[in-house]
This record gives sequence, C-alpha cells and structure tokens, in this order.
Amino acid sequence: MSEKSMRQQFVDTLVDVGIDDPDLVVLVGDISHFALQPFAEACPGRYYNIGICEPTIISMAAGLSKTGFHPVAHTIAPFIIERAFEQIKLDFCYQQFGGTLVTVGSAFDYSNLGCTHHCYGDFALLKTLQNTEIIYPGSPPEFDLLFRQTYQNKKLTLFRLPGVQHGYGFDSGDIQLGKGIKVLSGSDLTIIATGPQLRNALDALDKLHDIGLSAEVIYIHTIRPLDTKLVRDSVQKTGRVLVIEEHMRSGGLGDDVLRATADIGNVRYSSLSIPDRFVTEYGSYREHCERLGFTPEGIVSKVLTDLGVGPRKEEVRV
Amino acid sequence: MNEDLRKRIVEMVCRGRDGHIPSAFSIVDIIQALYKNFLKYDPRDPKWDGRDYFVLSKGHGCLALYVVLERYGIITRNDLELFCKKEGILGEHPDCTKVPGAEASTGSLGHGLPFAVGIALGLRLRGMSNRVCVLVGDGECHEGTIWEAANVANNLQLGNLCVIVDWNGSAAQLMPRDDMPGKWRAFGWKTTVIDGHSEEEICNALGNVDFDCHGMPAAIIARTVKGKGVPMLEGHGPWHHRIPNEEEVGKIMEALA
Repeated sequence: MSEKSMRQQFVDTLVDVGIDDPDLVVLVGDISHFALQPFAEACPGRYYNIGICEPTIISMAAGLSKTGFHPVAHTIAPFIIERAFEQIKLDFCYQQFGGTLVTVGSAFDYSNLGCTHHCYGDFALLKTLQNTEIIYPGSPPEFDLLFRQTYQNKKLTLFRLPGVQHGYGFDSGDIQLGKGIKVLSGSDLTIIATGPQLRNALDALDKLHDIGLSAEVIYIHTIRPLDTKLVRDSVQKTGRVLVIEEHMRSGGLGDDVLRATADIGNVRYSSLSIPDRFVTEYGSYREHCERLGFTPEGIVSKVLTDLGVGPRKEEVRV
Repeated sequence: MNEDLRKRIVEMVCRGRDGHIPSAFSIVDIIQALYKNFLKYDPRDPKWDGRDYFVLSKGHGCLALYVVLERYGIITRNDLELFCKKEGILGEHPDCTKVPGAEASTGSLGHGLPFAVGIALGLRLRGMSNRVCVLVGDGECHEGTIWEAANVANNLQLGNLCVIVDWNGSAAQLMPRDDMPGKWRAFGWKTTVIDGHSEEEICNALGNVDFDCHGMPAAIIARTVKGKGVPMLEGHGPWHHRIPNEEEVGKIMEALA
C-alpha cells in the first residue's frame, strides 16, 4: 500500500496542477483546511475555506465556472452530495457548467460518527444527472492521473476518496478515464470490484482456487462512464458475475453491470454491497466491513450461494 | 410606469396560457431601469466579456426580464410570442442555455445569489471591473442560502456585487417580523431603501453603489407592490399564478391605458 494517504495525494496534485494552471480554484467547507495550506501558499487568492454552508459552496463553484475557472469543491460526502444535491443538479448540471467535487467520508468510512456522516447513495444520486462523471480511486496514483484527465473537461466530476486503499499497483498507462482494468484472467466467474474492495477480491482468490474456481477480476475506478465493453466481454465468457462495492445495492455499480449485461442471457448475478438501509451500528471501518460481508470469506460465501457454482462440500474452506 | 411593458406581459400570459403576472409587475420597473440606464451590455453579443451581469434570482418573475430583453434587442418579438410554446425558448422560468441575456437558470429559490457570489469572486480574481446585480424576492429571503451567501459576500468583501430585494410583502404574509433592511445591515451590507417603482430612485440608488471590488457589498431594498399598476391584481390574492379571462383582460388593459 502506498505510504501516502489519499488526502495527501489530493493536496499534492492540487498544488502541482494549480502552480501551472491559474484557473484552478479550491473551495472547502472547513475540511482539510490545514492539509490544503500548501495549495493556499502556492496559489495565492485561489483557496477559500467558505465555512459550513455546503449549498452555497456548490453554487459559488458554479459561478466561478461561469467566469472560466476550474473549481474544486471539497468536504464530507453527505454534506456535499446529499445536502447540496439541488445545487449540483441545477447550478452545475442544468446550466451545463464543469467542475470537480472531491469528497471524503463516503460510504461508512466515518464509521463511528453514525448515519449523519455516512453516504452510501452518492453514485445513485449523481447518476440521475446528465454531464456527470463518477470516479472512485482506490490508490493515490489513480487520483492524480484521473484528476489531471478530467478537471478541465467541462463535466461535473465526483472523486470519492476512500479512507483506505486497495494497495494494488497499476501501470500508470492503464489508468484511463472510463476504462476498467482486468487484473486477473479467469474462466468460471467474474468479480467486479471498485474502490478499496479490490483488496478483498484479490484475497479471496486463493480460497476460490482451493475449491476449483477460476475467477476473473475486473477493477473499476470510473463508475461513470462505465467500461461496458470490458464488463460484457468478461461476463459473456464466464456467465457469472459478482459485483463488490461500498455503495447501497440500489443505484450502484451493480445496477449498471446488470443493465450492461441484460441481453447476454443465462448470466448468474450477485452483489456484495451495502443493504438498502441505514447502517446504524458503531465500530471501526473494518468491523463494519466484517458485519456486512466485505471480507474474502464473505466473497466466497456469496459466490457459493448466489452464482450456482457448488464444489463438493468437503472442498469448501471458508 | 412602463404600462407598455405590463401590457405585453399580459398578452404573453394570455397567449402562452401560463405565467405569474403580479410577480412580474412587481419588478418590471427595476429591470427596465437597470437595462435602460445602468447595465453595460451588447445586444449583438450577450456574452461580451465586458458586460455587467444581471441575475434574476426570483425566476418566476421572468416575464419582466423577457419584455425588457426584447425592448433592448437581446431577444426578439417572435421569442415573446412563443412564450410557453413548444417551439419557443421562453418558459415560466428562464433557462440560460436557451435565452440570450439570461445569466442563470433560476426558478428554485435561493440559488441566484450564491451563484452570483461565485461570479463576483471570479470576476475579481480575473481583475475585471464588471458589476454584478442580483434581484431576489423578499419571500425568497426565507431560504437559508440567501443568508449563507450574504455572510460569505460580506466576509470576502465582494463590493462588485449588489443585491436588489423586491420587498413587496410576500415574506411578511407568513413571517410578519420582517425588518428586511435591518437584516442586510446586520450581515454587513451597505443598505438603502427606495421606492422600487420610481426610476429616479432606482437609478440614484444604483449610482450610489461604489462597486469597489474589495469593498462592502450593497443591498438596495426596493419597496414594491405585487401586481403594481392594476388595482385588481395588486396584493397577495388569487392572481399569483392565474390567467385572466377575456373580460378581465379588458379591465387590466383599461387600467394600463
């Protein structure tokens, strides 16, 4: 795993891009204020800690976009995506302005803070709006490369920064907007993972191999636009697919995979996702993962129960 | 009193079978004064870099904006005639992707001012001296984002920004403790109160705003009458979103004669 945190990469990338591009402006809602001081110093006049008023931050960012700037708005996921959703919808998307939203605290990353600080429906919400892109980078280089590819493309792009990383290293040339990555070839089933859950998918492979299953692993950093060709090609080959995502079942990556493969026929589908309910329990991020089945064992269990691939009972070691 | 603009608004509503007549009558004198005497714009190039920005935050008053944009050559008479028609560009709320001269797509209240704060900040960052004027409704001032934006604009000292409040008493119907000037002063805005139907007072108030990019933002609290100009439409009764019948049109036109 990279020694650099996602948030540190966010800062480093903004500083690097901002020094060269005088049109990059950053607005935050009293989050990452101290971390972003290097940007404030390197790019004087282009950093604003607006305070606790997320809808206004989004509207202001759209106004900056109207005057030709590339705004970046940053705070905790539920407050920017859910509280300020109408501002995203109308001020950015309806008016056709581009900008970048960067969130922390998505899904249950802020596990002990409770449901007020969780956000599991952000993919679903943003997918209802035209001219949006949704990116879930699971490692620092992904953020760096994809931010540079998108921040001035006149679309509204969400970067959902996870609290933990998947720890897998990709060739930088493989990190392209809208392109999934085939991490491993297999023949019996397709596992599609996004965000930090790539780690659990990879950790489940030995267990699946032990019961005679060859899994193809696809990693998705760009939820929208989805690489439907990669998904279809794999599912056409294996006929079975498990989608793993730290998002509500409704409206997540799994729904898009289903839509992309609906006409293939005879495909067994399963989803390891957050149930369509509030996650009211407390505990660490890892304990939430264990409770919800985001573990190698949980993946094997899903495969066995939902995908119609039953090895002999004595071979199951989960 | 801009009777001709008011008549045109009524004609549009009757043809389009939709629209908010009293809300438009409340603000048409303000918008007319802005475009006649104050704002810099080029009717042949509505996106001219040197233009001043006018954001109509209370989007449901857009009939007043449309008739003024037509008067000054930014949109056409044909555009007005196609109001709310399937082949037209003018709807009951302005769409800036369709309407030349409309700086924002408004309708959901409380968006225009914070959006304009971003515009004012962007212009200042570019070192440009364009002025930004925003017209908000007093009922719209129930929205929390108005006061978020008011607070931010004061703290950023966005003196290139001027808000005009259409103080027609809509807010006080629901929340009678309505010290509108006191609120804007408390938020740090340089505040004046005028008659929003007097061209002279509107122009004097705008002329007294510094529009200093690093100064206090300005608030002009314009006392207005909803439905101004036609007694039967005035006030907060059933005419808010009603289409007059033939007989009523006759009475309205008579009052505007």
